[in-house]
Amino acid sequence: MTQNGEPVIGVAGLCKCYGDVKAVDGVSFTVGRGEVFGMLGPNGAGKTTTIEILEGLREPDSGSVTVLGMDVTKHAASIKQRIGVQLQSVSLYPRLTVTELLDLFGSFYDHHLPTKQLIDAVDLGERAKARSMNLSGGQQQRLSIALALVNDPELIFLDEPTTGLDPQARRSLWDLVKGLQAQGKSIMMTTHYMEEAAELCDRVAIMDHGHILEMGTVPELIGRRFKERAVFFDTTPKLSAAELGKLDGVTHASQEDGQTVLYSRDVAGTIGTLLAMADSLSVEPKNLGIRQATLEDVFLDLTGRALRD
Amino acid sequence: MNTLMRLTVANIRSLVRDRAALFWTFFFPVMFVFLFGWIFGGSGDSKVAIGFVDQDNTPISIGLQQSFSQVKLLTVHTGSLDDEKAAMQHGDISAIVVVPQGTGAAVAAKSVTSIQLYTDPSSSQVSQVVTQIADQIANGFNLQLAGGSAVVGIQPMTLQSTNISNVAYLVPSILAMALMQLGVFAAIPLVQQREKGILKRIGATPLARWKLVGSNVLMRLMVAIVDAVVILGIGLVFFNVQIVGSLLLAGGLVLLGAGAFLAIGFALASFLKTEEQATGVVQVVQMPMMFLSGIFFSFDFLPGFLQTVARFMPLTYLGDALRQVMVNGTQVAPLGVDVAVLTGWLVVCLGIAARSFRWE
Repeated sequence: MTQNGEPVIGVAGLCKCYGDVKAVDGVSFTVGRGEVFGMLGPNGAGKTTTIEILEGLREPDSGSVTVLGMDVTKHAASIKQRIGVQLQSVSLYPRLTVTELLDLFGSFYDHHLPTKQLIDAVDLGERAKARSMNLSGGQQQRLSIALALVNDPELIFLDEPTTGLDPQARRSLWDLVKGLQAQGKSIMMTTHYMEEAAELCDRVAIMDHGHILEMGTVPELIGRRFKERAVFFDTTPKLSAAELGKLDGVTHASQEDGQTVLYSRDVAGTIGTLLAMADSLSVEPKNLGIRQATLEDVFLDLTGRALRD
Repeated sequence: MNTLMRLTVANIRSLVRDRAALFWTFFFPVMFVFLFGWIFGGSGDSKVAIGFVDQDNTPISIGLQQSFSQVKLLTVHTGSLDDEKAAMQHGDISAIVVVPQGTGAAVAAKSVTSIQLYTDPSSSQVSQVVTQIADQIANGFNLQLAGGSAVVGIQPMTLQSTNISNVAYLVPSILAMALMQLGVFAAIPLVQQREKGILKRIGATPLARWKLVGSNVLMRLMVAIVDAVVILGIGLVFFNVQIVGSLLLAGGLVLLGAGAFLAIGFALASFLKTEEQATGVVQVVQMPMMFLSGIFFSFDFLPGFLQTVARFMPLTYLGDALRQVMVNGTQVAPLGVDVAVLTGWLVVCLGIAARSFRWE
């Protein structure tokens, strides 16, 4: 068994290429017991490849990867007994019912939880006899998580668990993940939703083009880059980023998706000079507001583009 | 084992709950048996031609010939045994009655003797009728001449006729077609499960891959046996087509055939990426086989170059083997060759699948 202090996941110098494309290019990180670790990045960043190597579904090209203290390339079978896996956008045998699927998957493991308990855990009691093809998106995702819990795993992998769900279904899935965390499960998840990472993850790694750009707790990541708060308004042509960067207290300005964001150490001063400048050009900044910097800002700052395409 | 059975049950459930798959595996072949059974089997009360060979030439043998001639259902040809055998093999007559030399003398001496009746067991309906008629005639003679004691008996003989009845030809053929479709169509759910990530998801569990493959094979072989029982049962009950050969051998061939076509299905699934592709390619593979492999009409009717094409098709050999064993059908190739060809397809396609099959 893994000692309390020993990480449940240890990755060092991991590389994986598909032809000429370096999907994962020298990634290193650890995940501690009981931790919820999030991997954040746009599509194609290498998150899924990384998580599938950890799950024993792909062979790494180089680097060392240990899960629950075991080398994934050598002990995949014993690791698979003790981890739970939810893959990105998988539909299951469409004509089997929720109960049948849980019974079936349970039979794959040496030890498994009672089906009834799993159904209750993901709140699918009313749909227990429904075929998986007839479940809603949110219900399918819950089933997929129940299947990941079937062997009562110590470590759970969730690959974009809420992609494609409506906000209500996403909220209820978040509660489910928080419940697992409260039970002391270690969780590694990927997502491209910033709020999701901020809501659920103890620590976050921001990944792009096969590299981890930055890693830490969400407040750390924000605090490390942004001592400022953000002043934002709808972009108008007359207010150029270069000019705005010279306003009082502004450290830098960015324009993305029709919105201009000024990162400012002196919000009152910035707004004062901004309004004066706008007045002299006879324009009015619309939807003007102030907020704390978020993970989104961190990502924008790191990569120069917004996370959601 | 528990896991393997559960997976097999899961596969069976998936099949039974999929109406389209159910149609192709069960109702399509059943529909064909009925359709072609009615088309070709409807020659109900026309006359049956038999040959009569009189080697005795006594009043007794002449009396027997008259008795057969008086039966309205029969048309009686006379001739030498060789001529009549040739006629039966050619399909001109359905049975031969032979009265051997010495029959008349034996009857006069009230010692037991017998006449020979050649029938083709594969056309069971005709042979049953003729055998009943011959029995009645012999009984009549025994009553008249010997006061009821069995002097003249019937010695049943079999002679394979080339012209087995159309329905008898069709039943094993349609079974072969059903097994072909069962195997080749297995490619579709496999590709579907890969496309949907089901194979990958199962790959993330400790389940051994051979169990995943094994459960699929097990399920299909079970269905093959059910298919065989249903099709042969309909043939027997509705069209009176009886299996004359060994049931064990027939069962072995059903499993070998299903296995060979399953291997082809797995090999196809190795190269197909999407469900749409699979559905199309499977039709391209199965349609020509269905029409060229001597399933609905004899191989001999095909023009020369198509015969050559058909000689490469595994279904030709499965159909041939099943017809030979079940209804004494004519040979396209000796049974050993049929088995060898099917085994060859099985081994080669399994090899291809083992090398090329992708789980995602």
